[in-house]
Formats: sequence, structure tokens, C-alpha cells
Amino acid sequence: METFVQSLVSGLLMGSLYAMIGIGLTVIFGVMRIINLAHGEMVMLGMFAAFFSQKLFGIDPFLSVLALAPAMFAVGVLIYRFLLRKVIPGGELNTLLYTAGMSLLVANLALFAWSGDYRTITLSYGLAPLRPLGIAVPVALAIGFGMAAAVTTALWLFLGATDTGRAIRATSQNREAAILMGIDVEKVAVLTFGLGTALAGTAGVLLAPSLYLYPTVGELLIVKSFVIVVLGGLGSVPGAIAGGLLLGLVESLGAVYVSATYKDGLGYVLFLLVLLYRPAGLFGVGKS
Amino acid sequence: MSRRAAALAWACGAAAVAALPLLVKNAFLLHVVILILMWTVLGAAWNVLGGFAGQVSFGHAALFGIGAYTTIILFLKAGVAPWWGIPLGGMAAALGSVPIGLICFRLRGPYFSLATLAVAELAKLVALNWESVTNGPVGFLITDLPQLRLLGHAVDWEAKTPFYALAALLMGFALFATARLRQSRLGAYLVAIRENEDAAEAIGVDTVRAKVLTLALSGFLAGLGGGFYACYFRYVDPDAVLNIGLSMEMVFIPMVGGLGTVCGPLVGAVFLTTVGEAVRERFQVGHLIFYGLFMMIVIRFLPEGIWGRAALALRGRRKEAKGVGAA
Amino acid sequence: MRKLASPQWALLVAAVLAAPASAQTLKIGAPQPMTGPDAPFGDKFKKAYSMAIEEINAAGGVNGKKLEIVIEDHQAKNALAATIAEKLITQEKVLVLTGGRASGQAMEIASVAQRLKTPYLIDHPSADMVTTKGFEWVFRNNPTGSIYPSGFDAFIVEYPNAMPKSAAVVYDNTLFGKTIAGAVMKFLKSKNVPVVAEEAYPVNTLDFKPIMTKVKGTNPDYLLLMAVATTDAILLTRHAKEMGIEPRAFVGFGGGFGVADFASQLGPLAQNVFSSAAWSGNPNDPRTKAFYDKFHARYGIWPHEHEVEGYAAIFILADAMKRAHLTGNLEADRDEIRKALAATDMTTVFGKVKFGNWTGPTGDPFTNQNIYSPEHSVLAQWRDGQLLNVWPKAYAETALVFPDPGARK
Repeated sequence: METFVQSLVSGLLMGSLYAMIGIGLTVIFGVMRIINLAHGEMVMLGMFAAFFSQKLFGIDPFLSVLALAPAMFAVGVLIYRFLLRKVIPGGELNTLLYTAGMSLLVANLALFAWSGDYRTITLSYGLAPLRPLGIAVPVALAIGFGMAAAVTTALWLFLGATDTGRAIRATSQNREAAILMGIDVEKVAVLTFGLGTALAGTAGVLLAPSLYLYPTVGELLIVKSFVIVVLGGLGSVPGAIAGGLLLGLVESLGAVYVSATYKDGLGYVLFLLVLLYRPAGLFGVGKS
Repeated sequence: MSRRAAALAWACGAAAVAALPLLVKNAFLLHVVILILMWTVLGAAWNVLGGFAGQVSFGHAALFGIGAYTTIILFLKAGVAPWWGIPLGGMAAALGSVPIGLICFRLRGPYFSLATLAVAELAKLVALNWESVTNGPVGFLITDLPQLRLLGHAVDWEAKTPFYALAALLMGFALFATARLRQSRLGAYLVAIRENEDAAEAIGVDTVRAKVLTLALSGFLAGLGGGFYACYFRYVDPDAVLNIGLSMEMVFIPMVGGLGTVCGPLVGAVFLTTVGEAVRERFQVGHLIFYGLFMMIVIRFLPEGIWGRAALALRGRRKEAKGVGAA
Repeated sequence: MRKLASPQWALLVAAVLAAPASAQTLKIGAPQPMTGPDAPFGDKFKKAYSMAIEEINAAGGVNGKKLEIVIEDHQAKNALAATIAEKLITQEKVLVLTGGRASGQAMEIASVAQRLKTPYLIDHPSADMVTTKGFEWVFRNNPTGSIYPSGFDAFIVEYPNAMPKSAAVVYDNTLFGKTIAGAVMKFLKSKNVPVVAEEAYPVNTLDFKPIMTKVKGTNPDYLLLMAVATTDAILLTRHAKEMGIEPRAFVGFGGGFGVADFASQLGPLAQNVFSSAAWSGNPNDPRTKAFYDKFHARYGIWPHEHEVEGYAAIFILADAMKRAHLTGNLEADRDEIRKALAATDMTTVFGKVKFGNWTGPTGDPFTNQNIYSPEHSVLAQWRDGQLLNVWPKAYAETALVFPDPGARK
């Protein structure tokens, strides 16, 4: 029983961070119909930014979010403005391949700049796990979970209660109608890409103390991100949250009760099944 | 191009290919050329599905891997000589592509691409864990290739020439198959599907059949490439033949060379291999940085690829020369 | 005086100076991962090779000729390793090859070396397979994966009360991990030790907590961890301790458990973790100590497994070249070096070296595998950020701590 509860808790905690990665990707897809293959690299950049903040300036990674999130937003805006904008009219597939090239470029530039040395972030306060009711909860993961929840709530409020947020949702629902209603969809696109990138970077910052960092970690994360957003339904934020938590659970419980070797396989099989039989996601809220 | 001109071009190409090993004695250079030929086959394989049918697959390494494993297993466990093993590898990959197609073709566009990604990763997991068949992470090693006598001489498998000849043959076949596809009715269907699948269905094209056949051809070519890899590099393990990097390289080559053209994969392979080697040597930097950069540059500025753009330019000039307006 | 400046002298001097360097240097080729995720390892070998070559050249070289090493980057890709090996052999015309780093690449290099008749001295890659194929051009100095656990095996047999009452084995699902896990479990079985958990994980797993949760439930007396990647080594240990597993000993097998980063990343969590590593290098031996100090003085880091292996490999090659009758004919020279290698009988910083054909723990026959390999695996323990050899006693730098103070009572 303890094993079960422990796996459940671990899975949910990890899942919350996965969800953050997924939200960024799904928001971009919802508005712009772009599947950004370089998303994993954005997370990676966030991770490294957190690492260097701590190493060079002594700033605690969780605090550095305050500076890094806006920085990543700016990065996203720049990427969209100078790189993607001209490519998008070429079609979905072209854009997909373009982001694939971008992913390769960023990951390998990082590899060149920072070498393949894996790094970890050690938190002086995070060495021993918390043990509420005898369940081990690593400190870094707990804080990450808390902040992810906070960010997601803030996002929720933004999308629901502000004009810009509503404009984003409107464009995501029906681009033509949004244009007719006077929404500047181009501006929305820029904002959304920036937002998605900021979310990815933030996810990276929150993840960094719980994982190790290396420049090609994006490869691993991007596949997980796709599984998440497809599970939850492309374009749906609550879907991405649910998808992230679900994947976290599947991996955790799968590793314990099925086999560690096949746990990734479980994710892929689930992914294929959803793609085939419920392309709108498990909750039917996704777009095609 | 007129048929005579095309035939002449093919003949010249064939002559150049045949003459090369006589002129280039340097073993390492020949090795690079062999790599180019192999990548052309793989690029052509992807091109058939991606360039002609417009279905972007990120999992072609799975088909390559099936070919590589089939050839090497048949040789090491059943004593089937590689010259039979390679086409058998191709056929195995073509067969393997059917279930893949059945699963993935229900999806369109980016969903299809993601599905192929998942399938390829699953293939790798299977290869890693199905030890009784694939030897798991240990893989297979060929130490000696079988004796073969051709035209009275024993083939020296230590030399480059036999592999060069084999690779050239495979490349010729791949390009020839692509050219025939383009001329055929299936080719026309593929163009229709690529441009607008729903419209194609509406006018009565059996899109499912067309896609499955194309994937089978694509798989066959990829499998041939895999079988060749097994014989030339002699060591097959899951990471070497089923990794996602391979799938991506199979995309880049026709992309850079020219999607939907016959010679695009060759141009792409030449370009990327030579630049890759040069970069590795000169800058000590992973060639992947340049692959990524080229991908981005090509898509942004040269979406038809290098050969595609060149072909367009040639066609344009020829029309001008003939005094016919752009048609 | 004027005679010396005359044109004839000038021409003579110019002719001597312009003599091709290759006539004067003995070239060694080394494919290594210099970029990509394995690059840190390639760098270690580069440092080690450089230091060894400088030392040998400063002492007069080999029979008056200088050694030269050509390192090329294979980016941890098998096909590229084959390409580079061919390039080094045919373009650079090296006399011998060494290096490789990972077993997949070593396989390709060995295959090429065997076919192109160039000696290949393996310094680090551990897959048993590379020296069990009967390749007479391939030699290996370091222990293979199946031999790695020898240090641990000796410890549990010889140290009082150390025989495990049960063991949990967590290993990476690669050639490396499987070989070592297989060898360890075989030995444990022969001693009737129950293996209560056997978990294989894919390399670069982000989260070991689920596995560790499962393992904790089996309450193992010993926790044996295998990792080919340093990142996995670190996370395995961290998550094992976070999940509250309390065995009498944590034992790591794999290069990652022996690098400085293991301690610097884990801090106090690394304390008392054992590492059954490929290298002994008896620290009580003055030669070894001198090497340690010299390396540290030059590069600022303490050498471990990889550095020592690389360093020793150059000396083995130099020794063979010294004994070989070199005429300047490339093919003949390579064959002479091969014969000289086969007759090697020396001691290096890594330990004794003599290549022979014998049967290893897996039951497969080795060709040209160092016969002293089983002695080269030694048990070390992390103490206050330092990795110190603790068993066998003859090689011990410090008394060991066992059982782990955190062990479940």
C-alpha cells in the first residue's frame, strides 16, 4: 500500500511539471496551429538559465523564475518575429520541419557552448526529502509543484479574465471569427508564441533542481510533451494539465507495477491509441 | 526534358558512376562516396513518401532498422548471403511498413508525423528488449563476409570497390524507381493526395491504397539501405539503426536536395555529407549544428531544395529560349 | 665561417629540416568523442594521452623517434567511428589505433582495424564482445564488463560478515549494464545470495523514484547499481536515498560512480557509497602516486579510471614500438607492432600487462585480453568527497566503512 501511495504521489508531482511543459506547447498549437518541435529546447534553455543563475549569481532557481520567465517570453517573441513569421505561410508541414531544424540547431549550439557535461542543481535546503505521513516527497519537487500550480492558476485567470487572454482564446477557437470581431490576430500570435516559450522556460526552471541538465535533454522532453498534449487534446490548457498528470502517473505506476524498461513504451502506446481513437484527446476538448 | 535528353543524362550519370572507382583510388574518399550513395538511397526512400505523397514521416529509421536487422540476422543465423539478404531486408521492411501504415495513415498531417515518431521509438524499444530475436543491446557483428566469385575473380571484401559497386547499384535502383513512380499513374495520384487529399478522394482516387503502396515502396528502399548498412558497417545494434537522429537525417537529405524530384536526394546527400565532413574537420564541431541551420535556411529561402530550385531555373530558361511564355 | 654560410650548406640544412615529419614521428590514431554528450570522456583521454606522449618524447622518444597522437571526433556514433578509423588508417597512415570510449564504437573500430590489418589497443571500452571474436589485431588492456565486479566479488567473500543476505540489482538496459549485472548476479547465485529485485532501466531515465519505491519494498541488504551514464549514476543514488532505502551497502558499478562529479553533485549523499571500478592503480605504489600528483598538478583534477587507462595505453604502445623492428614500410611495421604487442610483458601505472588467450567469466574465449584483468578491478569507497581504494587490502588507501551507518538496524 505504501508503495502504491508513494508511486501515486511521485507520479503526480512529476506530472505537474510535465503538465507545465505541455501547456506551453498546446497554447501555441491552439492559436497558431504550429507544432513546435523546438519546444523541448526552450525547456532546456530554461533549465540552463536557472543553472547559470545559481552558479554565476548565486540566485536560487525558484526565485530566478521572476527574471527568467519574462526573458523567455522575449526570446519567444523574437523567434516568432524574425524566424517563424515568414515560414508559416509555407504551410503546416514546412513549419513543422523548420522547427525541427531549429530544434537541432539550438540543441547542438548548446552542446557546443556548454559541452555535454551533465549538470545538476543542488539546493542546500533540498537534500533530505520531506516525509509527510511517511511518504518521501523531495523538497525541490514539492516547491516545483507548488509554483507550477501557482503559474497555472495565474494563466487560467489571465486567459479567462483579461481582454488579451480572451483574445487568445477567441483566436484559438476560430481564427476567422476573431478577425471579424476586430482582434489583431497577428499580435495575438506573437503574444502566444512568447507566452508558450515563457511557459516552457518556466517549466525548465522548475524542473532543473529535480533532474539533471544536458543540452540534448530536449529530445527526451519533446516526445513526452507530444504525448501529453495529444492525451489532453491539442489546444486545450486543462487538457494539457490532465495529460501531464496522467503521463506522470502512468510512468510512475508503470515503472513499479509493469516494468521500468517498458514504461516509456506504455506512454507511446497510449499516445497512439489516443491519436487513433480519440484524436480530440481523452476529454474530447482538442482541435484537429 | 525530352526523352532523349533524359536518357542521355541517365547514361552520362551511369558512366560517371562506373568510372569513379577507376579514377579515385583513395580508400577514404571512396568511403565518403559510398556513404553518399547509401544516404541517397535513404533520402530517396523518404522522398517517395514525403516528397511525392506529402506524408512527413519522422520514423523512417524503423524501416531502415528492419532492413538492417533482417539482413544481418539472415546472414548470421541462417547463412543467407548478403546479396540475397539485402533485397530480403528490403522486402521485410516493406512488409513491416504495412501495419505501420495501417496505424498511421488514419491520421493526417502533423498527427501522422507524430504517430510515426511514436512508432519508431516503439520499434527501438522492441529491438532493445526482444533479445531472443535481436540480441538486445548487444547487437550483431559480421566478422567475415562469404566468399563470392564474379567473372572468375574472388571478390575482395576488404576493398572498397565491391561495396561501391553495390551501393551504386542500389542508388541506381532507388533513383530509377523514383523516376518510374513519377511517370506512373500512382505518381499522379500521389501528387493529387499531396495537394489536397480530400479533393483526391472526392474524384475517386483510392487514397488508402495509394498511400499504402507508396509506403511499401518507401519501406523497400529504406530496407535496402539498412541491409547495405549491415554489410558495410558490419555491426548492428538498436542505437545505431533505430535512433531518431537517423530518421531526421532521412528527412533532411531530400528536403535540402529537393522534395519530389528524382535527383534531389542525391544532391542533398552530396551536399550534406561533404559539408558535414568538412565541418567536422575544420571546426571540430558537431555537424548537426549545420544540418539544423541548413534545414532552416532551405525551408525559408529554398523550399524546393537545391536541385528543385536548379531544375526550376533550368526549365524557366529553356522556356525563354524557346520563346514560350511561362506556362 | 664563410664556408658555413655557403649555398651548399644552406641546401643541406634545408634538406634535413624539410624531411617529412612522418619519417620522424610514430603516429598513433585515437577516435574519441570530442563533441556530443560523451565529450567529457573524450577530453579525459585527450589529457591523458597528451601527458603520456610528452613524457615519452621528453625522455628521448621511442628509439629516437617522437610519438604523435592524432585524435579524431566520432561523436559517439558507431558509423562515424568506423569512418574515422578508416580515415586514420588510410589517410593519416597511423601505425596503431587506440581509444574508442564506448563499446559500440569500439566494435566498429575493431572491425575496421582487423580488416585493414592495423593494431588496435583498447584502453577503456568494456564490452566482452570486442575481444571474443578472435581478432588477432585487437588487444585490450582494461577489464571487460564481465570482469568489472571482481573487486566487489572479492570483498564480499573475504571481508568478515560481508556476504549479502539479499541483493537488489538495478542496471541500465545497455550492453554495459547487462553484462555487469549478469556477471554479478551469476556470482551471487553461486554464493546462494537471493536477488530480491532485478530492475532494468533505459539510459537517461529522468526519474528513478518509482523503481526505488519498488526496490524499497523488497528491503534489500545490498543495493547494487549499474550505470553507463554518469547522470544515471547520480540520480540512482540520489533517488535511492530519497526514497529511504537503507541497505548495509550501496555499490555502484560504472564509470559514473567514480568521477569527481558524483561527489560534488551529491554532496553528503555520496558518503560511503562503494564503487567497483575498473581501475586499481595501487596508490601505495610510488609510481602510481607520482602519476596522480603529476596529473593533478598539470590539470587540476585527480585522475581516475579513464585517465589512467589512456595514459597506460600510450606506454604500452611505446613499449611495443620500441621492441618492434620498424623499417618505414607501413604494412610491415604494423605487423611488427602487432607481434611486439603480443609479446608484451610489463607493468604500467594501470597494473601488469600481458596479453593472452583465455576464457572469461562469460564462458567465451578471449583473444589478446590482458591476463591480469581480474586483478585490475578493485573496490573503492567515497569518503568526504574523495574516492579511495579500500579492497583488497594491498591496494587500500584507507580503512573501509561497512556497514553503511545509515543501514536499517
